[in-house]
Amino acid sequence: MSTFVDIHVIQSVPPSCVNRDDSGSPKSALYGGVRRLRVSSQSWKRATRLYFNDRLDASDVGVRTKRVVETLATRIAEQAPDLSGSAAGLAEEVFKAAKIKLSAPRSRKDAPLESGYLLFLSTSQVSRLAGLAIASSREGKALDAKAVKKVFKETNSVDIALFGRMVADDTDLNVDAACQVAHAISTHAADNEYDFFTAVDDEKNRSEEEDAGAGMMGTIEFSSATMYRYATVNMDMLVENLGSGEAALHALEVFVQGFCLSMPTGKQNTFANYTLPEAIVISVRDDQPISLVGAFEKPVHANEDTGYLTASLEALSAHARTIEDNYGLRPRAGLVVSLQNSDAVAALGERVSFADLSGRVRDAVAPLVISEEQGS
Amino acid sequence: MTVLLLRLAGPMQAWGVRSRFTERRTELAPSKSGVIGMLAAAAGRRRTDPIEDLLSLRFGVRKDQPGTVIRDFHTARTLDGKAPMPLSSRYYLADAVFLAGIEGDCELLSGLDEALRHPVFPLYLGRRSCPPPHPLSLGLREADLLDALRSEPWQASEWFRRRQRSEQPFMAEVLVDQESVAVEERGDSYGVRDVPVSYDPRRRDYGFRNVERRMVPVGPAQGDPHDPMAALKEAIPCS
Repeated sequence: MSTFVDIHVIQSVPPSCVNRDDSGSPKSALYGGVRRLRVSSQSWKRATRLYFNDRLDASDVGVRTKRVVETLATRIAEQAPDLSGSAAGLAEEVFKAAKIKLSAPRSRKDAPLESGYLLFLSTSQVSRLAGLAIASSREGKALDAKAVKKVFKETNSVDIALFGRMVADDTDLNVDAACQVAHAISTHAADNEYDFFTAVDDEKNRSEEEDAGAGMMGTIEFSSATMYRYATVNMDMLVENLGSGEAALHALEVFVQGFCLSMPTGKQNTFANYTLPEAIVISVRDDQPISLVGAFEKPVHANEDTGYLTASLEALSAHARTIEDNYGLRPRAGLVVSLQNSDAVAALGERVSFADLSGRVRDAVAPLVISEEQGS
Repeated sequence: MTVLLLRLAGPMQAWGVRSRFTERRTELAPSKSGVIGMLAAAAGRRRTDPIEDLLSLRFGVRKDQPGTVIRDFHTARTLDGKAPMPLSSRYYLADAVFLAGIEGDCELLSGLDEALRHPVFPLYLGRRSCPPPHPLSLGLREADLLDALRSEPWQASEWFRRRQRSEQPFMAEVLVDQESVAVEERGDSYGVRDVPVSYDPRRRDYGFRNVERRMVPVGPAQGDPHDPMAALKEAIPCS
């Protein structure tokens, strides 16, 4: 049995194209027999990580790069300027000790070696690896491979602990993600629309002899919709990945903030689709995580006065109750942030403000996490 | 024998058997390795933990609502935005509903049933981004696998039932381990490599199995969708 924190978000986006396929169309999926707008889970996870980068201490965040030798060599040179000449070589030794294969980059000549895939390293991991490399160089001893591997396994950053890490060469270094994010889909049938645009050539327009035709024209595909977004955090896994209940609670708070407030950046300069969630529902559970997307399998219909939003909230609330009544699965705690005030919202949990939300989630989860730590 | 029945439904599922490099495919029905892996995850087993006891389980699936394959075009960049990663295509099965049956020892299956109701690791329909939108287990049945898959009510969504205008019952494809079909009844079969031998990422390994294909009538279309409590009422104790 584990502790899960389910996050449900209802969010409307105006005309926008935050996540598109190779033909430039907003991504879509079929559900309940009709086409929906879709934003992939990967897209929103990246937006969440970028949000972390802006808001978190550097020590909590990781870098995800193939240029690992360069990254580590820079840190070695920072920590020991006298070794800057041999920093790249020392960095290579570290990755060799961890059995991570390195190769010359294809496009950049004379650049330091790269790993064959993106490696996710926390800032403190880079520092500690640099420390090991410097110590071995000073003592004139070979690197202790065990110590190197230990660093890779410990002190994971918040984002590595949440989103996981895969190391193809050495699966011992893998970190299983503690959070799971679903693809966001619209609560209603949503077709893509086309914006035909023309752009005026100012010089041509000024000229008396020229016609007034456009300098260029084209189409942009977009969609607007009310979306259901869902993520769940496995608290036990998060504690394991971060090594302490306190760190896990901190990561949970950060994730709640980041997942709710972030927005993928696709075509944002074109559409300025900066919206915030209309409603956030957080359920703390000790049975199983439950996505409430089933509420929208029957597509919601817009109401002339209230749009898709009220109907979406009502469907969400009714479905949550259906699940509770039929399966007898009740969350340990329910918290709601909503711009609307209705019976549907009240039925989903205790109303709180967003400013209080992550703190209240922490309070609800802390006893479950801390008691388990003491129990084990 | 005892059979554990699952209803696998959600906006998206992905059951990869032959994914290679940037082509992450899906089969048109849940794979044995995917479902057994999900049961192991529910019970809190790590990828490196032994799964010998699960290898004796027989597996079958009924396509109650076949769904549609959709492609997800996937790009990736380093977080600093500098280096692009290979483009990949991920295929998903959208809007599908399956009835899966796992046949085996009663004690083992009732333990797994309990684990599905209180999973240690969060469950997903083949890919981590596809969480199931409702509890998966329909409970245990005392029956042979093929019979259990034949007699369970149609699990399709209401809209899909309504779309079947014909008076005839819907013909659902059943794909089941060949061993669970009597020798004289065997016929339409094919081989597939999705028997989990080890989930250990260092030496992930799959064996072959023969799958027997059947078309069985389900339905007819009813106004009332399935009653989840029915599964609880029919719950059977191990003898």
